[in-house]
Amino acid sequence: MRTQLAGEEVEFRPDGTLLWPSQSTLFVADIHLGKGASFRSQGLPVPPGSTLATLEKLALSLDCGVQRLIILGDLWHARQGKTAEAVEQFLSWRSRVSVEILLVEGNHDRKSGQLPVGSDILTVPDGATVGPFRLRHEPEPQDDGHVLAGHLHPGYGLDGRGRQSMTVPCFWITPGATVLPSFGTFTGCSRIRPGESDRVILTTGTECREVPISRLTESSI
Amino acid sequence: MKTPGEQVIESWFAKGGWEPFDFQREIWQRYRDGESGLVHSATGTGKTLAAWLGPVIDAIDDPKEGLNVLWITPLRALAADTTESLLRPLRELGLPLDVQLRTGDTTTAQRAKQAKHQPFALVTTPESLCLMLSQKDPQAVFGNLRCVVVDEWHELMSSKRGVQTELALARLRAYVPNLRTWGVSATLGNLSAAAETLVGTGGTASIVKGFSGKEIIIDSVLPESMRRFPWAGHFGTQMIPGVIKAIEESESCLVFTNTRAMAEIWFQQILDEKPEWKGVLGLHHGSLDREVREAVEMGLKLGKLRAVVCTSSLDLGVDFSPVDRVIQVGSPKGVARLLQRAGRSGHRPGAASRVTCVPTHAFEMVDIAAARESAMAGKVEAREGVMRPLDVLAQHLVTIAVGPGFDAEELYREVKTTRSYRDLTLSDWDWTLDFVVRGGESLRAYPEYRRVVRGEDGRYRVEDKDIAHRHRMSIGTIVSDAAMTVRYLGGSVLGTVEESFLSRLKPGDKFIFAGRPVQFAHIKDMTAYVKKVSSVQGAVPRWSGGRLPLSSELSQAIREELDHARNGELRSPEMQLLAPILELQARWSAVPASNEFLIERVESREGHHLFFYPFEGRLVHEGLAALCAHRISQHQKVTFTIACNDYGFELLSVTPIDIESEIERGLFSSRNLGPDILESLNSVEMAKRQFREIARIAGLVFQGYPGMNKSARQLQVSTGLLFDVFNRFDPENMLLQQAQREVLERQLEQSRLAVALTRLSESELILTTPERPTPMSFPILVDRLRETVTNETTADRINRLVDELELAASSLT
Repeated sequence: MRTQLAGEEVEFRPDGTLLWPSQSTLFVADIHLGKGASFRSQGLPVPPGSTLATLEKLALSLDCGVQRLIILGDLWHARQGKTAEAVEQFLSWRSRVSVEILLVEGNHDRKSGQLPVGSDILTVPDGATVGPFRLRHEPEPQDDGHVLAGHLHPGYGLDGRGRQSMTVPCFWITPGATVLPSFGTFTGCSRIRPGESDRVILTTGTECREVPISRLTESSI
Repeated sequence: MKTPGEQVIESWFAKGGWEPFDFQREIWQRYRDGESGLVHSATGTGKTLAAWLGPVIDAIDDPKEGLNVLWITPLRALAADTTESLLRPLRELGLPLDVQLRTGDTTTAQRAKQAKHQPFALVTTPESLCLMLSQKDPQAVFGNLRCVVVDEWHELMSSKRGVQTELALARLRAYVPNLRTWGVSATLGNLSAAAETLVGTGGTASIVKGFSGKEIIIDSVLPESMRRFPWAGHFGTQMIPGVIKAIEESESCLVFTNTRAMAEIWFQQILDEKPEWKGVLGLHHGSLDREVREAVEMGLKLGKLRAVVCTSSLDLGVDFSPVDRVIQVGSPKGVARLLQRAGRSGHRPGAASRVTCVPTHAFEMVDIAAARESAMAGKVEAREGVMRPLDVLAQHLVTIAVGPGFDAEELYREVKTTRSYRDLTLSDWDWTLDFVVRGGESLRAYPEYRRVVRGEDGRYRVEDKDIAHRHRMSIGTIVSDAAMTVRYLGGSVLGTVEESFLSRLKPGDKFIFAGRPVQFAHIKDMTAYVKKVSSVQGAVPRWSGGRLPLSSELSQAIREELDHARNGELRSPEMQLLAPILELQARWSAVPASNEFLIERVESREGHHLFFYPFEGRLVHEGLAALCAHRISQHQKVTFTIACNDYGFELLSVTPIDIESEIERGLFSSRNLGPDILESLNSVEMAKRQFREIARIAGLVFQGYPGMNKSARQLQVSTGLLFDVFNRFDPENMLLQQAQREVLERQLEQSRLAVALTRLSESELILTTPERPTPMSFPILVDRLRETVTNETTADRINRLVDELELAASSLT
């Protein structure tokens, strides 16, 4: 779904990534590599496969031919998750994707230690500014631009006829910041409470749908 | 010929002007002969002394150093009182024997002291016993043990805590081969199974009967007329004037409600009517802080409280002798439960137990009438133990591995001696062992995974200190949602509320908790800070937790009760009062006879409702509903939401269902039942819910503890997410299968389900199309707790729901 954000044309994609075509840039948030492994290393028997599945999903997302990937934090889940196998899977993936990668350090990254040698990733601890966008992990509004962030793992609660209800991962666009859904296959989402001037774009896996937030809240007043 | 010990005891009784009961003497005799057994008797009839004095006599005749007796109680809250009642005779006899407490509240210093100078007896809970088994050298602790007494065995035995206790007892018998085990229980429908569960397959247990109980009066407070009495809703606060009158007639009174939220509401509303009772009306439920609860219990014992509004938290234990009447608000749900609660009153000699039932909506009057009939006819439910839960076994293996370690073959043989695991297959055992060692088949190649390690001597142990520590913090089988402490700003702790309730609150929101109106300020460090406010308008926290299902005995009785009513036999005041509602039900739809099966079809703004009335209890209805939804979805794309109560269930869909042809196609056929149920589970969230409990017990998730460090917090994960990860990456995992099996066997009671289907397929079908919801459908209609069954794709469902929002938005602008 294409739309304007801070005067730039961007595309919200069903896989939870955000594409900025004019700059050939893809944004993604909350990947949490090695989460399963970090559980296993602490004696919690979580089955393997989520890290590889996440990397494969990310490779697919990059098939759109961008030159730059910007990760809005939490690439790795924890230090204990950086097992030999996870690192090997990651480096093998890295060698296959020929894009420039920028990592905005998230709270999990900070506790995960150095990136593996050969990651070829530029880390920016305090975020960065690119065009009109202020890149951060945690979505606190900034004075100097529209914030792009992750961290919240946003999901929107749909409640409909027949008392049906579900929570769907979504993009959450507020006047000052846009929060991306979490990307990793071993991550969940939590319900947000959007304000009436916010926009919410759901990711169904195959398409994006916008929730008519403003019209719903206007009419309920 | 009496032993010196027996003479001491007999003369102690004589000094008080009493004489031991025959059943007490019988148990002392049997104890002396080395027997184990089960004593069942009504509350307040001397069960405790019967079980306790055997070991005391032994200690006089043949004193032995060290820990002689373990006394297991199901509730930590009871442990202090139990300790006191065990100490009392020792003090009066002047015996230098000590009884001490060992629970989660026992400090490290006290525990160290207990290890140095072992008391004669320890009062403990199943969880604390398991913790003791996770010490490095349990032989040193339990080597001199002579006897284990398990109190309130009927409460424990049908839960996973009961299985945990069985495993612990098997372990103790390995340390002390001639250990005597005595259970203390209320009367059950299946005493011999209860006794066998206690001593294991290798032992024998005698069953000793005490007193079958005193006179029990079951009456009710009824609305004056049915005209304004609701058809649904479970608060029923318009009954408060009647309840106040009942409280006034009694000296001291326990008001039982079925949920904690309801206790809060009733407490508040009674005080609104009777402000002068402030200070003499108490509130007691499991989420209140221990000090608050203890103060209330003390007030009851001393007779200072007029009444206490409570939940099952006061079902057990402590004698509150001043209590002369019990009020049961809402359906009693089971006969045994009603009798147990009734027994909390009338502890004075010669007094009768009296329970007064209060319906909160119309059809609960049938429950009350049926429960009374069954109680008077002595039809009490049986309790079944939980069979072979692998999650509890996995926890036990790690517990022993944290402790002295184990030899696989020895432990397998030991575990097989419990009734729960007597049919454990070698392959299930191997899987569980592999699961705790390597995480199961799917983790075979993952060296980073380590929980239990096999040493060079072939014994299995936990070597990692952090893992051992986390395991010890997580021992237990009671699963609750993440709870947060509620505390006054700069003041005392009120209790705990589930995180999910607090997450919906904004600072400034008011709610009622611990019987007090409070205002939510903020959350910090897993504590919700609140301040006092005067206004009482506000939400009441809901605590999740299973809703009690109707027992099958009571379901049967209800069908009979309705049958009588159809024939014009209104045999109780409740049924007489309900008559006009039943007439309305008959006029709008039908009142089914016990050989009829009623289905109602209703259309509303929400969609198309189908109501089915098997009268089999909530558990069976959950299964039937999932099964019907699954079978219908074989023929069309549809999403159902399902609601159930004890009388029937509802399938709600946005599109209409051609129910006649579905029935012709065999909607209620028992053909292909097993596979159909299994498949229906996949489309419902039930297995996911069950997995929550299993994941926690088997040690898949770590709940955390107060003051844990941040790195441990990374290990917290929702079991729902974990369920999805397992389903995707390790669908063959046995714990997933256990979740399914438990849903089938325990939640849905597959055997009851099959019986119900047979009965339904032989019943005469009555299909009605009422214009509006009937008195019988109404309680189901308004139930908010719903499951979803769907065979639509996620994307389709999202699109449909957003389309609805679009439609709503455009119609309103």
